[in-house]
Amino acid sequence: MADEIATLISSVGLTQETFLVFCIIAILVVGAVVVIITSRPILDIYPYLNPSARVRARKGRLFDEKQISEIVETNNIEEVENYLKGIPEYADVLDEYPLDKALDVERANTYGFVARLAPKDIKDPFVVMSKKADIDNIKSLLTAKEVGLTADETKELLIPCGSLYGDLESLADAENVTDIVTSLDNTEYAQALEDALPQYEDTKMILPLESALDKYYLGKLLRSTDVPSDENKQILYSYVGTQVDVANLKLIIRAKEDGLDYDAIAPYILEEGYQLREWKLKDLMESPDVTNVISGLEGTKYANALTDAMPVYNETGSVAVFEKALDVYTSEYSKSLASKKPLGIGPIIGYLSQKENEIKNLKIIARAKREADFPNSKIMEMLI
Amino acid sequence: MVEIALGTALAAIGAGVAIGFAGLGSGLGQGMAAAGSVGAVAEDNDMFARGIIFSALPETQAIYGFLVAILLLVFSGLLGGGQGLPTEAGIVAIGVGASIGFAGLGSGMGQGMAAASSVGAIVEDNDMFARGIIFSALPETQAIYGFLIAILLMVFGGILG
Repeated sequence: MADEIATLISSVGLTQETFLVFCIIAILVVGAVVVIITSRPILDIYPYLNPSARVRARKGRLFDEKQISEIVETNNIEEVENYLKGIPEYADVLDEYPLDKALDVERANTYGFVARLAPKDIKDPFVVMSKKADIDNIKSLLTAKEVGLTADETKELLIPCGSLYGDLESLADAENVTDIVTSLDNTEYAQALEDALPQYEDTKMILPLESALDKYYLGKLLRSTDVPSDENKQILYSYVGTQVDVANLKLIIRAKEDGLDYDAIAPYILEEGYQLREWKLKDLMESPDVTNVISGLEGTKYANALTDAMPVYNETGSVAVFEKALDVYTSEYSKSLASKKPLGIGPIIGYLSQKENEIKNLKIIARAKREADFPNSKIMEMLI
Repeated sequence: MVEIALGTALAAIGAGVAIGFAGLGSGLGQGMAAAGSVGAVAEDNDMFARGIIFSALPETQAIYGFLVAILLLVFSGLLGGGQGLPTEAGIVAIGVGASIGFAGLGSGMGQGMAAASSVGAIVEDNDMFARGIIFSALPETQAIYGFLIAILLMVFGGILG
C-alpha cells in the first residue's frame, strides 16, 4: 500500500516534500473556508451575549402578577411605598425621592442603562429614548412657568436625569416660557422650540411647544433606525415604528374627540409613520369623528385592537379605552418581537417594554391609592 | 534537519487539525458562554458558580482534540522516539484529526450558544438551571461521535496497537 501511494505521488510528478506542502495547503484552505462560514453567525450574536444576560437578569426581577396583585391590595399609598422599598430596584430611588418622581427616575435610569449596554449597531434608537428624560424636564419647566410656580416648586418637578438636567435646573428661576426657549438655543431642541414659539406667543398656550418636542423626539427616534439590514435591525425598526404609529394614532383619536379638523391636527403629527404612512395619516386626520378613524384603520395591524375596544367606547364615550387598547397592543407586539431573536435584540426589547409597563402600572396604582375607596377591581382593570 | 517519514509528517498534520479545529470551536463556544456569564454575574453575584459551570462546558472539545493530538504524536514516533508511521497510516491520521477537529468545532460552537442562552435563562429564572444544563450538554454528542471515530480510526488504521 505504501509503495502504491509512493508510486501514485511520483506518477503525478511530486516529491514527498511537495506532496506534504500540498496537504498542508489543502488543510489550510479547508480550514479557512470552515472558519469563515462558521464565524459569521458567531459574529452576529457575540455583541448581544453580555447585554442579553444583563437585561434578562433585570427582567427576572420585574414584578410578576402575584406581586402586582399584592401591591393593588395595599390599603393606601404609604403601603405601596413601603412595599416598593422592600424591592432593591426601587429602594434606592425611593430613599431619595417621593413615589412619582422615584418612578420617573427609575424609568430614566432604565433607558440610560439600556442605552449604555446596547451593542453599537442598535445603540442609536436607545440613546434617543434615553433623552426622553430631557424632553420631559423641558415640558415640566414650560408647564411650571405657564402656571407661575416658584423656582423651588419648579425644581421639584424636574427628574434628576438626562444630559441637560444641570442646565434645566438652572433655568428654574427663568422669568417666563420665552426665556426658557431662548436659553435652550444651544441644545438640539432649539429649532423645534423656536419654530413653535410664534404659535405660543399668539395663543399663550404651551401645547404647541410640547407637541413640537414630541414631534422632534418621534422623528429622531424613527430616523435613528437606519435601513434594516439584518434581523436585529428589522425587529428594532418594527418596535420603534410601532411606537411612532401609536403616538400618532393616540394624538389623532384625542384630537377627533375634541372635534379638531385636519389643519389643526396636521402640525403635530409626524408624517413619516411606520405602517401608517403620510397618505393614511392624512385620511385619518380628515375623518369626521373617532368612529371613522377606527374604521379607517381597517387593513392595518392596529385595526383589531381598536375595533375590539369600540363597544366600550360606545358605552362610555371615553377615548381612554383606545389609548389603553393601543398600550396593550404595543406591549403584546413587543413581547412577540422579544421572542424572535433570543440571542439578539429580543431580550433587550422584552425587558424595556415590560419595565415600561411595570412603571406605568405602578403609577396607575399610586394614582388610584391616593383616591379614597377606589375599588381594587377597578385598578386591576386599568392595568396594562 | 531531522529525518521524518512521510507517514509521521502526515500524522503531525492530523494532530494539528485535531487540536486546531477542536480548540477553535471550544474557544469560540467558551467565549460566548463566558460573555453571557459575565453579563449575568454583573447583575447577580450569585451567578458566579453557575456561570463558571456553563463557561467550562465547551472546554471538553479542546480536551478531546488535545488527547487525540497527543496520541497521534506519540504513536507516530514524533514524541517518545518510537518508530515512524507508514504513509498510509499517516493518511489515516489526517482523517483522525479531521474527525475530532471538525466535530469539536461544530460541537463547541453549538454548546457555547446553548450555554450562553442558558445562563441568560437562569439569571432570569433560577429554576432553569437543570434544564439549561441538559440543553447545553446536547451538542456534546457530536464531539463524542468525532472522538469515538477518531479512536476507532487509530485502532483499526494501524496507528494504535
